[in-house]
Amino acid sequence: MKSKDAISRSVQKTGPYKVLSMVILVALAVLFIFPVYWIITGSFKDAAAINAVNPEWFPKSPTTDNFVRLFKNPALHWLLNSVFISVAAMGLTCITAAMAGYALAKKRFIGKTLVFSIFICAMALPKQVVLIPLLKEMSFLKLHDSMLAVILPTVGWPFGVFLMKQFSETIPTEMLEAVRVDGANELQTFIQIVLPIVKPGIGALAIFTFISSWNDYFLQLIMLNSKKNLTISLGIAKLQAEMSNDFGLIMAGAALGAVPIIATFLMFQKYFTQGITMGSVKG
Amino acid sequence: MKKALALVLAGTTVVCSLAGCGSSAKTEATAAPAAETTAAQAAAETAAGAAGTESPAADITLWTYPIGSFKDADTVNGFIASFNEKYPDIHVNVEYLDYTSGDDQVTAAIEAGTTPDVIMEGPERLVSNWGAKGKMVDLADLWDDDASKDIAATSEAIVAACKSPDGIYYEYPLCMTTHCMAINYELFEKADALQYINEDRTWTTENFGKALKALKDSGVDTTGVVYCGGQGGDQGTRALAMNLYSAQFTDADHTKWTMNSDAGLKGLTQLVDWTKDGSLSYDAGAVASDELQLFANGTTAMTFCWNASNEANYASSVAFTPYAVAFPSDDGKPELCGGIWGFGIFDNGDAAKIDASKIFIDYLCDDETQGPVSVKSTGFFPVRASFGNAYAGTEDEERMAVYSTFMPYLSDYYNVTAGWAEQRTAWWNLLQQIFGGTDVKTATDEYVAACDAATAAAK
Amino acid sequence: MLKKNAYTKRSKALVWRETVSAYLFLLPALIFFIGFVIVPMVLCLVTSFFNYTMNDYSFVGFSNYFEMFRDPVFKKAFWNTVVIVVVSVPTVTAFSLWVGSAIYQVNAVSRSFFRCIFYLPVVTGTVAVAVVWKWMFNKYTGLFNYALTHMGVIDNNISWLGDEKFALWCIILILFTTSIGQPIVLYVAALGNVDNSLVEAAEVDGATHLQSFWKIKWPSIMPTTLYILVITTINSFQCYALIQLLTSGGPNHSTDTIMYYIYYQAFKLNRYGYGNAMGVILAIIIAAFSALQFKMAKSGNED
Repeated sequence: MKSKDAISRSVQKTGPYKVLSMVILVALAVLFIFPVYWIITGSFKDAAAINAVNPEWFPKSPTTDNFVRLFKNPALHWLLNSVFISVAAMGLTCITAAMAGYALAKKRFIGKTLVFSIFICAMALPKQVVLIPLLKEMSFLKLHDSMLAVILPTVGWPFGVFLMKQFSETIPTEMLEAVRVDGANELQTFIQIVLPIVKPGIGALAIFTFISSWNDYFLQLIMLNSKKNLTISLGIAKLQAEMSNDFGLIMAGAALGAVPIIATFLMFQKYFTQGITMGSVKG
Repeated sequence: MKKALALVLAGTTVVCSLAGCGSSAKTEATAAPAAETTAAQAAAETAAGAAGTESPAADITLWTYPIGSFKDADTVNGFIASFNEKYPDIHVNVEYLDYTSGDDQVTAAIEAGTTPDVIMEGPERLVSNWGAKGKMVDLADLWDDDASKDIAATSEAIVAACKSPDGIYYEYPLCMTTHCMAINYELFEKADALQYINEDRTWTTENFGKALKALKDSGVDTTGVVYCGGQGGDQGTRALAMNLYSAQFTDADHTKWTMNSDAGLKGLTQLVDWTKDGSLSYDAGAVASDELQLFANGTTAMTFCWNASNEANYASSVAFTPYAVAFPSDDGKPELCGGIWGFGIFDNGDAAKIDASKIFIDYLCDDETQGPVSVKSTGFFPVRASFGNAYAGTEDEERMAVYSTFMPYLSDYYNVTAGWAEQRTAWWNLLQQIFGGTDVKTATDEYVAACDAATAAAK
Repeated sequence: MLKKNAYTKRSKALVWRETVSAYLFLLPALIFFIGFVIVPMVLCLVTSFFNYTMNDYSFVGFSNYFEMFRDPVFKKAFWNTVVIVVVSVPTVTAFSLWVGSAIYQVNAVSRSFFRCIFYLPVVTGTVAVAVVWKWMFNKYTGLFNYALTHMGVIDNNISWLGDEKFALWCIILILFTTSIGQPIVLYVAALGNVDNSLVEAAEVDGATHLQSFWKIKWPSIMPTTLYILVITTINSFQCYALIQLLTSGGPNHSTDTIMYYIYYQAFKLNRYGYGNAMGVILAIIIAAFSALQFKMAKSGNED
């Protein structure tokens, strides 16, 4: 009885707080939904409605004209390029980072501290810092103006390694020992034991890599210059540059461009919204 | 193989020029490598002109900035198709740049060694940027006597703008215009402000001030917006500030920046005063395209970024009459910034491609039928006097006639001054500072010092 | 401790074998990392000592570095960068923690709802987000001015992105909306995994909500917090696309950041050497910052 009282007391105590926090949450939700709402409705508005000084909250005379004009550009081709680049970067990053993360978390080896420290120091580095050298390197490798020039540097960024190392800390060492005793080789251990355990981590990393490579429009801009390689981010930026106030057209592009990212999110979110457990922080 | 072919072609040229059917000026080349080029090109022209059989073969790439319809794939592909009827073996691949990210792409391409062969823009990029940095090919053989005379007949300033200080031509121009401003005719009419504009579409600074007041009194909330959120369309704000009290932007030799002269300071101060009393607005978050949109919506009564091509672009989307006028000037004699667009060739070290590029440029600019068509597609005026009125007999004739009256006001093309790129950023930052309350003289002196330093560093 | 002893007892051969297999696992990541991060970084360092432009490549020693410390725009850009990181990293982290703890216990439907809402700006894509905000901030046709003038908060339209007082904060606001989605999702998941019996036991013992939070939940979500700190830092340093698309560093350099200024020097003025020198300094700062973050999270965790 006593404990029940305590619980109900604590519920009552937090009552007004909960109401207040709900109010704030809903207000913020509006701030977050609104830009997206504005993109979607904007993509169906005509020029007059777009530039109206008194905003038109809902398109009075919805038009698909913006999409018609968008598809006069090879928008689907852009989309495909973006998907290709992001998926390739995502796949390669997940594989290399999962392997490296496992090694850093679960193996004792010479130079471990050094390697890990360098990864840590480099993981937040913005690519702008090395753009010109990267450009020269791609030119040297004869990769400039190919999608690899965008994919490879993305995979090289060490953030994924750090993340996967954190996840791999959760792998029980006894389990690894046990399968080793059973005679499993390193690769089998990795595929049968490690991968299933770090799956939520891979899910989180996949989404992170997909989105950041999708959004990295400046790297795309300087690495790709022929129109067959144009991506959707670049395409929208170009539309904005040429017709900066044709918001209807740009919003149509934006709406189209969001579809694959939302799809990726939905595909991978179950991995990490369910049982996410990160390993403790170790050096 | 290439050499042999060139020799044969050169031989043909000599024969042709002896027979008087070659373009004589083009065979009078001087340097040895250039001779090869010229010969090959002239020969190719004659050969193709004669039978259309022996056309040089090359794959070339053209990058265009959005100059009139040269941003439009249908138009450009049409040009290439007609070019290929004459030269079936030169394949032209086109990429379209925009003014926001185009320079970054070209820089990246230069550093990565993936530059296009032909690029279309104006002297500030072709001559004083990439040309001055040794990335471009000398186009002397396109500038033969005939072309030089023809273009000089339009304006000596064009010829001067297309070559470097040491006399090397890095641009072969196609078209030109003068940038002006435009007013919303109906709003001016309603405000009874049309009286301040002369019949020849010029006006004085004093009358401009009166017009602003009249507009305000008639209930126009935002008369005009001095945009300074970036470099887009900055020629308009420069021309506005310069003309108010007839200041010069640089000295005559393009070695020093001079907006801190008394006239320049007076003009800038006048702008600040107008924004303070509300007769004009400024927006440090807008560039020309934003301002144009406000004008097109009818929100503002004037735009400072106007020219023939803009009128053509906005003609269908405006519900009023855009009326082009010169920038106001204290003496009533405006000096308008010009735009000169044409082609340059990046030095990719492949003689065959360079030759093919020259043939392509020659075709687009000088071909008797294609030349005027190319010019018309830009919506500007031909640099060649011999093209006469390119718009005669077309639906654009009347509209273009208005803009041709501004041609005599074409000012010195100061855009070729070294340090131009630094200046452009410094300019919109200067405007942001003075509208934000910094003392005009202090800010302008700093701006001039920074620009002069950049000019000195570039030498 | 036990593990460590076990290791030391192993023979050298075993250690050696372990090292080889570890590097084999690291190899793919190392190839990419060395090839596309370390090599360019070294090139960056080397070229920072040259007057490296489009048509020059002459050795100038430290003069790029000296110039940098005299360059008023660099100073401004440096402070703006500091402001962005110092404001946005703690705000995003604290706020996402608050949202996370506010929604992790509500019913599944509204939890999914909120999680998706706050994730929306992330999935919309940077360019699209920048464009729509630019429209909403527009001085004449933007929503903010419309709403604020109609509510009587302001009399005259404000050029949000064109005013030195507001521009940087507008950028931070947009950055905030695009950074917060991922942390919320992670916090909701992490809080959901905290052993609830411990929390209940503590509250039965009379601990307040706040106390049980700090004593029990906070330590167990520490690894997640570290991860969130890192991604938010990455996001904040990379907000440069927003600046390029919205303000070009203006008005009057009030939104210039080091990343944008590097881009400006390299791509607009072709001063690669100078840009690279700034890149080196920025890299050192970021590396130190990351290391510090990691150290702090580590020591916090061991308490």
